[in-house]
Amino acid sequence: MNNSSFRNRIISLIVVLVLITGWELLSISFNSRQILPGPVDTIRSLFGIIEKPAFLSSLGITIFRGLIGFLIAFVFAVLIGIPSGLNSGIEAGFKPILITIRSTPVVAIILLALIWFHVEQVPVFIGFLTMFPILTINITQGIRETDSGLIQMAHLYQIGKPRILRDIYWPSILPFLFSGISTSVGFGWRSVIIGEVLSQPRYGIGSMMQNAQSYLLVSEVIAWTLIAILVGAAFELLIRWVEKRSITWKR
Amino acid sequence: MSLKLENISKSFGQRQILDGFTLDFKAGSITCLFGPSGCGKTTLLNLIGGITSPDSGQLIGFGEEGISCIFQETRILPWKTVLGNVMFPLLDKMPEDLAYETARKFIRLVGLQEEEMMYPSQLSGGMKQRVSIARAFAFPSKLILMDEAFQNLDNKLKYNILDSFLEIWKEDCRTVIFVTHDIDEAIRLGQHIIFLNHTPLKIVKSVATADETSESINKIANVLYVLNK
Repeated sequence: MNNSSFRNRIISLIVVLVLITGWELLSISFNSRQILPGPVDTIRSLFGIIEKPAFLSSLGITIFRGLIGFLIAFVFAVLIGIPSGLNSGIEAGFKPILITIRSTPVVAIILLALIWFHVEQVPVFIGFLTMFPILTINITQGIRETDSGLIQMAHLYQIGKPRILRDIYWPSILPFLFSGISTSVGFGWRSVIIGEVLSQPRYGIGSMMQNAQSYLLVSEVIAWTLIAILVGAAFELLIRWVEKRSITWKR
Repeated sequence: MSLKLENISKSFGQRQILDGFTLDFKAGSITCLFGPSGCGKTTLLNLIGGITSPDSGQLIGFGEEGISCIFQETRILPWKTVLGNVMFPLLDKMPEDLAYETARKFIRLVGLQEEEMMYPSQLSGGMKQRVSIARAFAFPSKLILMDEAFQNLDNKLKYNILDSFLEIWKEDCRTVIFVTHDIDEAIRLGQHIIFLNHTPLKIVKSVATADETSESINKIANVLYVLNK
């Protein structure tokens, strides 16, 4: 680590400490632990939550819903993104759909989904709809930015379509794909939780937040939020780790 | 085997590049298409490679057995090692172990055996060009096309690579057609130099330089003198 990055980390750390201290002071001066709990209360709630059996079920099922939504989105994104990148007519056909999905407020979709689907399926569906357009657009762009010189070279060397797809297009889209995965998982994770808050399945981070909120357990709401943030950050780290392992050819 | 362009015409929009162009290539030798930038040399090469097709006329004897290419921008795959790149076109043509042996042989011939497992991002420009030369020769073709392949290299490196190119070429004397506007390269490599000039493309002069005698050098000097007037 060089000097300036060490210095920058110290600066970030100081800001975090100042914010936490400010939060504690604000909570003390507010004089109602119920309405505005401080960091210490939140940590206490956090440990309380972790001890409960509902914790692992809720955490696990929310991650599971996100994962299912992601996998469905990924499959659709590959099936639509690759042909769209190869053929601008196909892209033009899907563009209005993608734009409509992207610009519709998540809440509106949830309200409709609540009517159409079982409560267990709503968060999955919301996660899918959030991630699908981002992934598709990134894959399309990756295909389009594939070096046409390499494709021409492959044609001259009489290389078959499947190998062109596997050995030229696929590695070219990987960087785009990973940036798409990183962005979409960030958004997707949050929308799955929103979906849970509104659809109220039995378990789930969002359901637990909603429960805590209805009993005015503010420190628990914040503690669950903290859990959601930590899991989101863990996903980000995991994605970066996989990316580093997959894209080995860059210096 | 005879390689022939017969009465080829090609236009892009309003611009006619070729108008009834005819040219014979001698199989098993190195032919240089020499001419100024933008005169249509690359179009000619693209026609031979089958990247573009002619509006009319006939190409005889090209491309049935596959064509090897060496490009200016090397066009090697960034995500494959030197070995992976040289093996890449071979895998559809031969069993994997033979592809491996063949690739390694030609990697040795271009002097990259130490770099075999390296990725292109770890190689210099000259090394990358050597990879694309190894790939071209390892591929079982009867014809090698080159488009300004050595333009981006400095002189010393260029002569170095041209020498190893000739060395490998002698192994099986494949037909080579290459395009350049660098007279040094044309003389050093070309056994026949076809001097081309402006659109629609015309053959100004055809010189055989196989023996590199002072007579053929003189001929070339004369052609250049006339061209530059």
